Amino acid sequence: MPAVRRASVRRWLLVAIGLLYALSIPWYRRGGEAPDLVFGVPDWVAVATACYVAVAVLNALAWQLTDIPEDPERDPP
Amino acid sequence: MSFGQLGLVALALYVVFLAGIAELARRARRDASSADHFLAGRELGVFVLFLTLYATAYSGNSLLGYPAEAYRRGFSWIMATGFMMSIVVAFHALVPRLRPVALREGFVTPGDWVRHRFGGESAGRALLLAVSLLMIAALANFLFAQLKALGLMAEQVTEGLVSYEWGVVLLAATVLAYETLGGMRAVAWTDAAQALLMMAGLLALLVWLLTEMGGIAGISAAIAQLRPAAAAVPDAIERANWASTVVLMGLASVVYPQAIQRVYAARDARSLRRSMAWMTFMPLTTTLVVTWIGLAAIPRFAGLGVVEADTVMPRLLGEWAEAGPLAMGLAVLVFLGALAAIMSTADSVLLSLGSMLAGDLLGRSHGEPATARLGKRTAAVVMVAMALLALVARDITLWGLIELKMELLIQCVPAFLLALHWRGLRARPTLLGLVAGTAIAVAGVALGAKRVGGVHVGVIGLSVNAALACGLSLWGARRGSGPLGD
Repeated sequence: MPAVRRASVRRWLLVAIGLLYALSIPWYRRGGEAPDLVFGVPDWVAVATACYVAVAVLNALAWQLTDIPEDPERDPP
Repeated sequence: MSFGQLGLVALALYVVFLAGIAELARRARRDASSADHFLAGRELGVFVLFLTLYATAYSGNSLLGYPAEAYRRGFSWIMATGFMMSIVVAFHALVPRLRPVALREGFVTPGDWVRHRFGGESAGRALLLAVSLLMIAALANFLFAQLKALGLMAEQVTEGLVSYEWGVVLLAATVLAYETLGGMRAVAWTDAAQALLMMAGLLALLVWLLTEMGGIAGISAAIAQLRPAAAAVPDAIERANWASTVVLMGLASVVYPQAIQRVYAARDARSLRRSMAWMTFMPLTTTLVVTWIGLAAIPRFAGLGVVEADTVMPRLLGEWAEAGPLAMGLAVLVFLGALAAIMSTADSVLLSLGSMLAGDLLGRSHGEPATARLGKRTAAVVMVAMALLALVARDITLWGLIELKMELLIQCVPAFLLALHWRGLRARPTLLGLVAGTAIAVAGVALGAKRVGGVHVGVIGLSVNAALACGLSLWGARRGSGPLGD
């Protein structure tokens, strides 16, 4: 994959990771409510866990697409 | 043989094993330079790099503090899996920018970046000192937490045959000895062995708990019945705290001195990239596992006090050991894995402390063998001081210590992440921001207001810190060479 395309895909992966983090916190439920059980765990815990599994997969992909120059010509930024 | 006697024998054998590794690492030394002692000659390949990053990140706090916090808070501690993963996400902002400069300039300590980036400015030296002092304070706190955890574990694994006090003293001396002899090589190699032991042990413990308690559904049902609030949807303050903890842990962990030094020590970019990709899955195999272990403790040990909750892991292992000879052997193995994980974090902290005290605070050159010697001696002094503190200050929770460390460390973020991404950032505004952010964090902790509406004072301090650093840098640039623009 060309470097420009790789950088663009990596950026979108990082945006998706940010959205998954926002979704992992149960803003969508009223505090103190008793949960329903999904796969034996409270529903909001199941959502958070699913988000973190997805973050792990996307982040691993993002790292594979990360360019780390070994011989830079000039300093960042 | 009783559980305590078996634990004592296993502990003694493990200390002998560590001595062997230290001797091997000493023989593998290429020279007496700081880069060789503190960075293993920059030759850590993907497997050892990954395991040393893992063993360093998952410490006594993870093994004792996180199950304890899951026991105290209930299911909302699922946030721990998220914030441990956020560390590997936040590294995207640091690694691709810092690694190339570090390689070219031969960085050894985190302060080398600050010196390189801000060294040409009049406030550069003061900024370097401020960043170094904050990092050293955070590392000393971290070392204290590890020593406290070592004492607790040694006492539990030997059923009191080794007391908390002797556990702290003997294991602190062991860590100091092998780190001084073998440097980063000894640390990384023992980290690798410790990481494997810890991962296998934790999974075995969880399997036993799930079998005993009717699986995940059984644990959830028992918690919902005994402590309904622990399973209920978190309230607004707890949710704000969840978000704040993800930010606090993600950003502050990126500027962990020992993590930065592992970025320097990697053999090449490929090793670093692969290690990071593997690291991102580790919260699922470790943090999630210890969270469930802590949750399983809720129905098993009702009514433990706040500080007492730090012992839920050893208590569970003690119960497991009573299930039969095989369970006893496995429980000793987990104890040893936990102890090993704590020691592996303590040795990494000690190594970073030595390099920063000699190189950043006392300003010694990395090329001279005397610098490595000075680093070892000053780190030994801090180790002794923290061991003494661990003997007297026992009434503080491990999670309390983690939060305190992170709230200080996060104030260094602008000097690294902002400075790496924005050329306009100047030394004096960064220093003013750091002082203001630290003052807010320290005042909050001192006044007992560690959180405002669930948000950590350290995160609030960082917001003020970054706003001052950016705002004053821009203002200085508009005024030309004004007093704040430097």
